Amino acid sequence: MTSKHIHVLLYILATSLVLALIAGFTLTRPYVYHAAVINPPLPVTDFTLQTANNESFRLSDARGKIVLLFFGYTNCPDVCPTTLATFKQVYEKLGNNAQKVRFVMVTADPERDTPEKVAAYAALFNPEFIGLSGNLTDLEPIWKELGVFVEKQDSNSAAGYLVSHTASVYVIDQSGNLLMTFAYGTNALDMADDLTQLLKQSH
Amino acid sequence: MKNKKLLSVLLLATMLLSACAKPGEFKVMDAWARPAASGENGAVYFTISNATNTGDTLLSVSTDVASAAEVHMSMMDANGVMSMQMQESIPVPAQQEVIFKPGGLHIMLVELNRDLKIGDTISLTLNFEKAGSITIQAPVKE
Repeated sequence: MTSKHIHVLLYILATSLVLALIAGFTLTRPYVYHAAVINPPLPVTDFTLQTANNESFRLSDARGKIVLLFFGYTNCPDVCPTTLATFKQVYEKLGNNAQKVRFVMVTADPERDTPEKVAAYAALFNPEFIGLSGNLTDLEPIWKELGVFVEKQDSNSAAGYLVSHTASVYVIDQSGNLLMTFAYGTNALDMADDLTQLLKQSH
Repeated sequence: MKNKKLLSVLLLATMLLSACAKPGEFKVMDAWARPAASGENGAVYFTISNATNTGDTLLSVSTDVASAAEVHMSMMDANGVMSMQMQESIPVPAQQEVIFKPGGLHIMLVELNRDLKIGDTISLTLNFEKAGSITIQAPVKE
């Protein structure tokens, strides 16, 4: 073997090593979620609420699917439609994977929001979206467990009172545990990326 | 003679420049409304641009598509709790822009008398203290 051959061999070896290192780093680098991850995941007490046509929705019926929970009220013109519009984009970005996710809006204003009203409000964005209401006695424990703040607020608005509420999106995993929360304003692409990653991990 | 020619060129250039810069313009732009169903509440967003040297104030808003049009501001606290507050008036300082956008300042349309569907356009009149009434067209989009 001439020294020229050795040089070429060394060059090939060095290049392969560098490429292998780059590939290894890229493949093993952990995915960083845009959401705030709750570790360990928090089991969520099962609940049943009402949707349109006298039908009910039980959280445990969604086992095997990821549930995105959002709290709002139908009199809300700005923040709630913004989140539902983001949900709509997430649904579209997920493609076939959207069938593995339930998009749910739960009312923060049971006094005015009938199940029909919330269901129609959510369905305006996507007919697959679920809108839920119920009695205050059914809703309060859910708000409390997830740390959702809800407060009626008097106003001079022609729309009557307003409701201050936590605007985060709660991500419940396929086994019914609270896994992460998205802050208000998280964009659709980041949400879709996180959900795709979650679905990849759980096959 | 040469100087005279130069002078007229300069004069023309100045006139052209001032035509481009449009000093002192006060306008409302980039308006859009959210889709919403009849009977519900809607929202309209836009940017008020005040390039004049005097401050102005948005006093009220009116539209024929809803029972009322109010100025509201959404605000989020450190715990992620979102609140909305009705605003009596909105100052528009000289040489500044006031931006109405999701999660912030917005016009709340109370009790829509018709569906706002993507592709529709609604008309909205903004009443300013100095600029008077400005009517804008807001396309409905997401």
